[in-house]
Amino acid sequence: MAETPLHELELRKVYAQTLVELADGNPEIVVVEADLGKASGTIPTFSEAHPERFIDVGVAEANMIGIGAGLAVDGFVPFCASFTPFATRRVYDAITISVAYADANVKIVGTAPGITTGPNGGTHMCFQDLAIMRAMPNMCVFAPCDAYELAACVRWMADWDHPAYMQMIRMVQPQVFDESYLFDPQRAVHLRRGGDVTLVSTGWMTPFAIEAAEQLAAEGVAVDHLHYVSVKPLDEESLVESARRTGYVVTVENQSVIGGLGGAVCEVLSEKLPTRVTRLGVHDQFGEVATEEYLLNKHGLSVEHIKQACREG
Amino acid sequence: MAEDFDREEFDRLAGEFRYVITDMICRSGSGHLGGSLSLVEIIITLYRRVMNLDPANPKWEGRDRLVLSKGHAGPVLYVALAYQGFFPRAELKTLNADGTRLPSHADRLQTPGIDMTAGSLGQGLSAACGFAMAGRIRRREHTVFCIIGDGESDEGMIWEAAMFAGHNSLDNLVAITDYNRLQIDGFTDEVVTLEPLADKWRAFNWEVMEMDGHDWDDIYATITAAQAVRGRPTMIIAHTTKARGCTVAENLPESHNIKVPDEAAFEKYICALTCRDYELPYEVD
Repeated sequence: MAETPLHELELRKVYAQTLVELADGNPEIVVVEADLGKASGTIPTFSEAHPERFIDVGVAEANMIGIGAGLAVDGFVPFCASFTPFATRRVYDAITISVAYADANVKIVGTAPGITTGPNGGTHMCFQDLAIMRAMPNMCVFAPCDAYELAACVRWMADWDHPAYMQMIRMVQPQVFDESYLFDPQRAVHLRRGGDVTLVSTGWMTPFAIEAAEQLAAEGVAVDHLHYVSVKPLDEESLVESARRTGYVVTVENQSVIGGLGGAVCEVLSEKLPTRVTRLGVHDQFGEVATEEYLLNKHGLSVEHIKQACREG
Repeated sequence: MAEDFDREEFDRLAGEFRYVITDMICRSGSGHLGGSLSLVEIIITLYRRVMNLDPANPKWEGRDRLVLSKGHAGPVLYVALAYQGFFPRAELKTLNADGTRLPSHADRLQTPGIDMTAGSLGQGLSAACGFAMAGRIRRREHTVFCIIGDGESDEGMIWEAAMFAGHNSLDNLVAITDYNRLQIDGFTDEVVTLEPLADKWRAFNWEVMEMDGHDWDDIYATITAAQAVRGRPTMIIAHTTKARGCTVAENLPESHNIKVPDEAAFEKYICALTCRDYELPYEVD
């Protein structure tokens, strides 16, 4: 029976399958959940495949992080997941001290990032996880955009011997990459080359940015599109090189414009190559219950908004 | 275990620990005296009579683990580790000095023999649960000890871990509450009462024992009994006196973090020790 291609699967399924495959070959891989194992896909895929290495702590996210830290210090590689606000801001000090400061090899996964949590509304809609996790020493910050990149990112994290945070979109995503994709946190992915404007995207916004760049090409606007799966470390070289050629940068992310990818880009350019930047993202607001389409339009993140921002170069 | 019990020797050692801890803290200018002195007999018993350790190989897989969740009591742990040979005793005088391996709060990356970093209160019991789960998955026989503070027990995360350990019947986990009844802002009964503390832990499906945290026989008997419990984790409520042995600080909230700005303050604390007939294990100016 032919296997379903990864890009036809929900990303949470890809996450859980990848963890099962990793755990099959590595007895140190463990999964720790806080009553959201079904939401992150590890129930039943991982919990049935490796029940002795599946731990559910109940609705106790800080405890999930602390238990993960203990397991990690003892040599295990725990993947701890929850919705992005509860995996990051709710437990920020537990991660800071028990994981990052203690250099405990814990992998933290924030699911349903930003506006993709639509029906759960403002309490669950976290626009600052990239920013706050980026501000933490000894923490990598990743936001994969499709199934292939997610699987590669999880595999890389399992091999990395230090803490890491990954945003995980749960649903099926448009295919961007394929099996040949190689995850490299040191390098941005150059999705399109052009000389008019640098478009910088990450995570869930990257497929929208790809579409915008394609439509702009038809208009005669040549976009240089950089996809950053890694917001930290940030590939400064590719950014500066592109900005030098185009002279204008647009960033787009499913996050607040304060401190996330847009913030990181501005930090680099202001020091290395002062360049005009337009940051697309949520402007200092909370989320709300709404459809993705409504929120994309409200916060100026739609393909049309991206195109408009790119034309203003 | 490592060493047979000799009451006279242990009494002398406890006095020496208190003298060294107080000297280290005073020499550094400030520090958490009260919560270090309240743990002296418990820490000595753990390191001299109970815990299975190899100072030459601090990360030996089969060792017993200790999470000092009340990480501010680092000084008492440092003295125990130095006296057990994890690092030279002379290093004790570097407490809190620039570039030291002995920071005020226990740090696993800094000090040989420290199993977990702590300092932000409430987190260590969760890490200890992680160690206990690790031991279970690996089918190891070691015991995971975790010392929490009474004030620290105000933290919600403690009770998240308590519920988890009870649910998972973590009988390789032995926790100890240093119940000296003082926290920074005053007596625990006045700030936020913990009572009925034993009932709380029982309600979370733990075995609960109580002991006099300064009585050698009681400490040893209780801890070894706790290790023998099967089917549930054990909480030992240790009745202790904060700043025990330093008469000007004993049982005072101010003993939590003493300030030693000058020679007079230094003399005040050193001269208040009930035993002072010891040599410091390091050279002093």
